[in-house]
Amino acid sequence: MEGFLQNYGFLLVTLVQQALLALSLYFPFMAGQLSLASPGFYALGGYIAAIMATVDSCASLRNALGWTIFPLEWLVAALVSGILALIVGIPSLRLRGIYLALGTIAFVEILRVLFLNLDITGGAIGIFDIPQLFEERWSYILIFGPLLVVVLLFIHRLQHSRTGRAFKAIREDELAAGAMGINPTYYKVQAFVIGAVLAGIVGAMSAPLLNTWNARQGTFDASVSYLAYVLIGGSRSLWGPLLGAALLAALPELLRPLRDARLIMNGLVLVVASIYLPHGIVGALSRLWSFFSTPSAARGGE
Amino acid sequence: MRKLGGITLLLTLCAGTVYAENVAPPIPVGIAVAQTSNVALFGQEQIIGAKIAETYFNIKKGVNGTPIKLVTQDTGGDEAGAINAVQNLISKEKVVGIVGPTLSQQAFGADPIANRLQVPVIGPSNTAKGVPQIGEYIGRVSAPVAKVAPYAVKQALKQNQKIKRVAILYAQNDAFSSSETVTFQETVKNMKLETVTVQKFMTTDTDFTTQATAVLNANVDLVIVSGLAADGGNLVKQLRQLGYKGIVIGGNGFNTANVFSVCGSNCDGILVAQAYSPEADNPTNKAFVAAYRAAYKKDPPQFSAQAFTAVQVFVEGLRKVEAATKKKITQLDLATVRTELNKALRKGSYITPLGEISLDKEGDINQKTFYVSQIKMDSAGKVGKFVIVK
Repeated sequence: MEGFLQNYGFLLVTLVQQALLALSLYFPFMAGQLSLASPGFYALGGYIAAIMATVDSCASLRNALGWTIFPLEWLVAALVSGILALIVGIPSLRLRGIYLALGTIAFVEILRVLFLNLDITGGAIGIFDIPQLFEERWSYILIFGPLLVVVLLFIHRLQHSRTGRAFKAIREDELAAGAMGINPTYYKVQAFVIGAVLAGIVGAMSAPLLNTWNARQGTFDASVSYLAYVLIGGSRSLWGPLLGAALLAALPELLRPLRDARLIMNGLVLVVASIYLPHGIVGALSRLWSFFSTPSAARGGE
Repeated sequence: MRKLGGITLLLTLCAGTVYAENVAPPIPVGIAVAQTSNVALFGQEQIIGAKIAETYFNIKKGVNGTPIKLVTQDTGGDEAGAINAVQNLISKEKVVGIVGPTLSQQAFGADPIANRLQVPVIGPSNTAKGVPQIGEYIGRVSAPVAKVAPYAVKQALKQNQKIKRVAILYAQNDAFSSSETVTFQETVKNMKLETVTVQKFMTTDTDFTTQATAVLNANVDLVIVSGLAADGGNLVKQLRQLGYKGIVIGGNGFNTANVFSVCGSNCDGILVAQAYSPEADNPTNKAFVAAYRAAYKKDPPQFSAQAFTAVQVFVEGLRKVEAATKKKITQLDLATVRTELNKALRKGSYITPLGEISLDKEGDINQKTFYVSQIKMDSAGKVGKFVIVK
């Protein structure tokens, strides 16, 4: 078992981490908003954790808290991400569809340039020698795993709550939702903030995992891959982002034996999935399921 | 069939937990560099250098008769990829040591893992401050920027003693460039020159009018550019086109023939400090240059030379381990080879394509010679070369 964890432990943790980031994009999706801001908050959370863990002025705090500094990092990252999301979300969520996507891309870029130029973030080299929570990479599953479970439970509960139904109503038709007394901006900002908080926490947990943090974390490329997770997996179910992230993050690593051809395979999966599975993998599976579970008579057979 | 799968799985799991296991010939040396992503441009050159070293040393009997075998794993351009590659090489491929990763940021991500598992790592191109300090198993054969950059400024002053006012430009989103520029700025200050303006750009920029205009308005006699080939070359081109006549110093990003096609005849005269020159006069370099020229019909770049050097350091280190333990590497268990090899690497000096080098206690390189070259373009502005200036 030890050998397996040595080889694939980091990959397992990466899968869960990517799934969490995909879910952070799924929250705005629930309210029908295409936001690509997650990588920005992910980077922000990571920087907060990295700075708190390495800066001299926090040394006394670190000594006093011991390992409990880590939960504190997550909390601070969550708070800062949430507040920033609120400030950014209120004006930008007045934008719709593709314009919101563009606005959030701009937000990610602004953060990136900021991180590159601040002294405290270490410029382009970033922050390194980040203290570790665990010795072994796979042990990080002990923090990412529970977070994933909590988030999934949260989404499950949310879907059947008043807020969740409001999200759904806005997703289906914002005008109609507004006419029925739902305040669209309020709920859209709420969905955006929840996603941002999640991305911030994941970032804060990831800084020790990667040993280092720099402005190459959470770029536009990352936005696109998270979006791909959600779209390939299926944007209408909470299992979609999960499955999409697991599949797309694992493929390049599992295909390592194919060497150069592995990226071709990866691209092939993307292309095939987006052409033949417009509702994502989960969408296709659930359609297949309903096809087989409905008696043939009900399908209008003779 | 399923049963068989289960048994194989069980066997592989058991294989992972065998304790004292000997190194199997040929001795595996890991290469973890970028073969994909935008860093692959450097990674490919490193693979070439490492492969030439593999052939060269295996013809020379490898490690006292036991050949070496390179095992390559792609790191991609990010930290997670580097961690995966390094982890793979250590626990699956059972390498004795690792050459890599390409970027300093990747080194900060992946090297702590190798260090914790006590596997020696030699960085072929990590130039940022702090890389050898990651741990006792981490070293590098790439001279830090702080050592190389000042030579170019000294050379510029030799060519024009009247230089007083300096403009410094750098790519703010590139780790190498932004640490290189700090060295340049300090050098300029130490030489009692005046930095009149500091301009920033992005490696993705294509229009440098703003920066060029600012430089021209500042009326400077020396321009120092730290950027990568594409952006840096374009910047120099636009600066020349707008009428700048003084000396230009290019950072390490200009240290590649790729820059010639970017700025064409405007590249002419750029001064570049180099950690490697194909003209270095020693038998190892001559053999390396000959092998490279035979295969690629041009002079080898610095990245290939440094990767060759990294493999060479491992091979000679392994030979020293055999001499010290009086046993063949294949008679020793893997963990012992790794720790002994790490100790051996830091002893003595090596005659490499980079000239005579040694690794200090921390694993950082001590390099004896550096070079300053000037780019010379032909009249058509198509073909160029680096000419060493003394």
